[in-house]
Parts: sequence; C-alpha cells; structure tokens
Amino acid sequence: MFLLGWLGAAASLFAQQPPVHYLHHGVMPPGAIGSQQLQRGGPLSGYYQPVEIKAPSGALVSLAVANQFDEPQAAPRKAGFLIAGVYRLRVTNIRLDEGAEVFPTIEIIDRLYTPIGQERRFAIPIELTEDDLKLALGGKFVTRVIYLEDPENALPVKEDLQTQNWFEAVPGQDPLAVADSLGRPVAILRMGGRLPDSAEAANASFFFGSPPFVPLAADPATFPPTKESSSPSGVLSAPPDKPADIPPASRRHSANEGRRS
Amino acid sequence: MKAVVRLESKSRGWPDPWQFVVVAICTLILCSCRSAPQQSCSSDATPARGGVSATSFAGAAAVSRAAPAAAPSQGAALAAMNPNEAVVAASATEPVLANDPAIASDEQSVESRTDLPCPDQGVPPPYQAQSPWSPPGLERPWPTDEYLRDGGDKGLPVAVTKNSEVLGLEMEDTVAKFETVDGHRMVEPSNKVHIYSPRFGAVRQVVGVMSNEERQKATGVHEPVRVETPEKLQIVAGAKQNFQPVHGVGASPAVAFRTKQGDGALSGSIGPRGFQDRFKTYENLSIIRQGLIEGSDMAMLARGSNAAIAWSNTESVHVVLDHQSAAAEVKYDQSMLLYTVSSPPGKPRLQLVKVASTAFAKPGEEVDFTLRFDNVGTETIGNIVLLDSLNTRLEYVPDTAQCSVDAQFSTQPNEGDSVVLRCELTNPLEPGQGGIVRFRCRVR
Repeated sequence: MFLLGWLGAAASLFAQQPPVHYLHHGVMPPGAIGSQQLQRGGPLSGYYQPVEIKAPSGALVSLAVANQFDEPQAAPRKAGFLIAGVYRLRVTNIRLDEGAEVFPTIEIIDRLYTPIGQERRFAIPIELTEDDLKLALGGKFVTRVIYLEDPENALPVKEDLQTQNWFEAVPGQDPLAVADSLGRPVAILRMGGRLPDSAEAANASFFFGSPPFVPLAADPATFPPTKESSSPSGVLSAPPDKPADIPPASRRHSANEGRRS
Repeated sequence: MKAVVRLESKSRGWPDPWQFVVVAICTLILCSCRSAPQQSCSSDATPARGGVSATSFAGAAAVSRAAPAAAPSQGAALAAMNPNEAVVAASATEPVLANDPAIASDEQSVESRTDLPCPDQGVPPPYQAQSPWSPPGLERPWPTDEYLRDGGDKGLPVAVTKNSEVLGLEMEDTVAKFETVDGHRMVEPSNKVHIYSPRFGAVRQVVGVMSNEERQKATGVHEPVRVETPEKLQIVAGAKQNFQPVHGVGASPAVAFRTKQGDGALSGSIGPRGFQDRFKTYENLSIIRQGLIEGSDMAMLARGSNAAIAWSNTESVHVVLDHQSAAAEVKYDQSMLLYTVSSPPGKPRLQLVKVASTAFAKPGEEVDFTLRFDNVGTETIGNIVLLDSLNTRLEYVPDTAQCSVDAQFSTQPNEGDSVVLRCELTNPLEPGQGGIVRFRCRVR
C-alpha cells in the first residue's frame, strides 16, 4: 500500500504539465520568429506576401538590394516579402529631420490567404509613423507588431483610413503576446535603438543577407467613391498627405548624427 | 574469504522494508524517464492558430519541410501582374510556390496528407504545395479571421414571444419574422454573406537604452573655513513689509465633460423612400428579380458567397424553406439543380435570400446589401418584419434603405456599436408575392 501510494503521488506529480507559455517573444532577434514559423510547415515557405510600406508625407524609403539600398522612392511602396526574411529599409527626408536617416527592419512572420487576384490589393500595411521615426531618432527602440484583427472581437470603431488602430505595450509587456491576444500577428517592425557605424552599415549582416523581394506598383491615384456606385475598384487610395500642423522637432540631426538602425 | 562470507550473510539479512524502498526508487526513476510524445503527422489534437499563439507552439510538430519546388513561382506570378516588375533576387536560389494551397479546392490531397510518415520514421517527404493546408487542430474554415460575415442566425436561434418581442437576435443575424393566418409567429433566417475584408492593427512598444548612463559621486572633501575676525553687526534701519496676496490663483476645474450616450431608447425612424434603380448589376439574379431559383444564377450566387465556400461547403448559401430539405442549394464544385418542395395546402413559408454587391472590401468602402423575400407558401402571411443586426465592422449609411413594397424602416443600436435595421412591411404578402430590401453599409 505504501508503494502504491508513493507511485500514485509520483504519477500525479508528473502529470502536472507546465502551463502553456509563449515560445516567441517580441525581444527575439530579427528573423528568429519567422524562421521558427517556417519550421512548422505549411504554405509559408517561398510565398511572397505583399506588403505596403507607408511613411509620412515627403519621406523616402529605400529597400536593400544586394547589400545596397536602391533608389529612394516616395511612400507608399509595395513589395512582396518572403516569410521569415528580414528586410532592411532606409528612411530619409523625414519632415523636420531632413538630414537624418532611420534604418528600420521588417520581418514577416505570417501570411494572408487572399483570394486569387486580390493579393496586391490586400497587402499587409506597415506604417512608419512620424512619431515612431522621431522616437527612433531620439535613441528609442520602437517595436511594432502588426496583427490581423479577429473579426469576432473587432473593435467597434471607425478605422481612420490614414492610420491604423494601434495599442501601446508598456515596458515589460511582450508586444507579441499582446498582439496575439488581439488577433494574428503577421509582421514585426523594428527601428531605432542604436547607431550603426560606417563599417557595420557596409557589412552584409546589417542587411540580413538582403533577401529577395518582388517590387509591386503602388496603388494608382484613385477617386472617392460615388454615391451611386460602390464598386470596390479604386475606392481606396494611397493615404493623402498629412496636415502640416506637426509640431517641430526639438533638435535637428546632422547626416552622421541621425543614423539610426 | 571471511569477509565475503560476512558480506553475503549481511546481504541476506536486509530487512524487507528496504527492499520495498529500493524497488520504489527504481520504479520512480524508470517512470521519470519518459520518452518524447509521439507526434503524429496527421494529428489534429493540437489547437493552433495561424499566428504565434501559445497553443500553437506548445504542441506543434517541428517538422521541417523543404520548400516547394513546383513552378511557376509565385513571385513571377506577382510580377506578371505588372510586366515592368521583376523579382529582385539577391540570393542565388529563389524559393517558389506553385499554387496557393489555401485556395486550392482539391480535397483528396487532404486525406493523402494524413498518410505522411512521422519524422522518426525517416526523412519526411517534401511539402505538397498543391494540397490545401490548414494548421493542425483547425478545421478547413481557414482562415476565418480574414472574412467579414453577415446574415444567417448565429448562436441561439431567434425566437418571437407572444408580445412580439424578438429574442436571440445577435450580431450578424438576419431574419424575418411573420405571422400566419392562425396567429402563429414564425422566424426565417437568411443565408450568410461573406466578404473578404481583413483589418489590421498594431501593438507598439518603445524602450530606451539605459546602459550608458552612469552617475558619478563627488570625490572632494568639504572643508569649512572658520571666520577669524568677528564682524560688527549693524542694526537694520529699515524693514520691508511683505504684501500678502490678495487673490488666490487656483486651477479651474474642468467644466465640460464629453459623454457618450448609451443604447437606451435611441432609435431613428426612416421614412419610406422610393425604390430607385430597380435592379443593380449584382442583383441580376432570377432569385432577386423574380424570386425564382434558376440554375443559371447559381454561378453568380456562388461567386457572391465565394468566401464561404473557401473554407467550407457547408457554409455555402442555402435556401431553406421552413427548415425542410433545401429548396435550392448553391454548390461550388458542380452545376446546380433546382429543387422544389411540394407543400400541402395551408403551409406558410417565407424565403429570405441575402446578397452583397462585392466579395472584397477594404475599410472605408461601401457595400450594398439586398434582401429578397418571397412568400413561397400557400397562404397569406402578415406582420412581416425583416431584422438585420449588422456586424460590428459594418456601419449603416443613413437614408440608404429602400424597399420595393410599402414598408417602414427604423434602426436601433445593437451591442456591437452598430445598428439593427428593422424593415416592417405594411401589407401582408399573398402567396407568390415578394419584394426587395436594399441598404448600404460602410466597412469599418
């Protein structure tokens, strides 16, 4: 009886499995989460997920091609990014910080299953807000986890077509876990935090190998929907210019001073 | 030799409880050496989501599959949309994906996928790009989080009390309630309408780098200097009088508060309007124009509910007459037949079909919805009220409701910060009569 009781207690002890925990955290290095996503299998590997990169008015965005940045283009830019690829950007000509540069990274960790023919139209929006760029220039490290909202728990708000809904995760909170509670995380945007020196900026690791991408044409200029027709074609357009009532920055950055990764 | 003999004799003399203890410890050690749980390649026991949810990673089998090697590449397909674009490939090899497996409709490959061997049985076969894929633990409705649904009767069935109070009307529900000649109250739901409309949000976190900050303590020694020569104190000849403040300056409290009015008795009444534009393009269906189901309309009707078919055939549009076998059924994979129901005399029935003007919509765009109602029974029905509780992400555009027959429209807030659109028909419907209700919504 003593032996049976002991074994029963031991069995119950082993039966207590640890609680479900997150294996991924927002502080993981770029590319780690996407790589583990690929190991799960499924139609993720090799899929070019269309992404739309939005930036404040006037800002220029460059993508990394063969460890070099391509010609700066005005936002929004559309491109097809691979899952788990880490794409280095260069954002220049930021309002009131024209000489400064920010080098964000975009990591796609999941894809959309858009109906055939609608892939380009329903791209994942990656927003480089002016606030985030200012924070990055100020030495802060900004992490933005973009998630697909759960329609069952959608916020009853009218989405501002200029900016998407976003929440603030306080320090100590995992932004990936917060985004997972709100929907399905699909991409991670990181920027700021440190200054890449000239030697590092020329290194291939700075570009994360310059993964391939498919450049896509941005949406053409469209017109607002008429009252008589609700055809979806060409209703949404690229975000128009933001108003010019942005408060001035506290200081200006030189070209060398403002290089932020 | 003597020592050996003593040892053997001592070993024979162990008390019985020690033997039990040794056996128990060995058993405990053996029980603790558990092997890794077998991960079946076809197991669906692990609940998972497409994202990085905890449950998905807790039990997901880490089976590495090679990149699909079918052609043509999806990158080339994307680039083909714009002939001036090309794949910018910095690496030597370009991963390719032939078809979008989530959209593929080959169901046989699902079962073939369940035959995949486990990783411990050898090298896993490469991933079959042609087979439809869904995360382990999830059924084929995948991914449901990219679609917006409206219509049908979700959750608890809608019921009408004797006081004509509607119970169980939840968001996304679209039903019609009516009364028969003998006073019975009946409810008929519509079909579901699915619109591809993903909406995105973001979670931001801002952290600062504090590693380079360092506080330095003062290293000097404070040495006071004593006064060697006393100074002569002078008497103050004059004194200044401090004036006390006459008025106190205080912060003014907020005098205005913004409030948000709850649901309460808010309701808007919309007067009857003329029915304009008799039929729109997406309404060019026999079931909408005449209330008759024709086989030639099935393709159009199926396209309108393409989203539903994308994840489940059971979710496709069904036209059900009085909860009997389907009067008309829209299938995705085969041409449709017209089914009729032979009804005995005196059977009240109402047919309610809902269609949307588009299957894809982005936030900010407007979508037209059309409800076709028909008295397909054999007796007159009256007090017909169409109720549509709009989804959270659908915002009713005011003054856009139209009805082909005399009706009274009204709206009432629902729990999703949207509205319940109520269309009350003024006159009863004779057998064979019907009408159309049309309204416009803006996608949030």
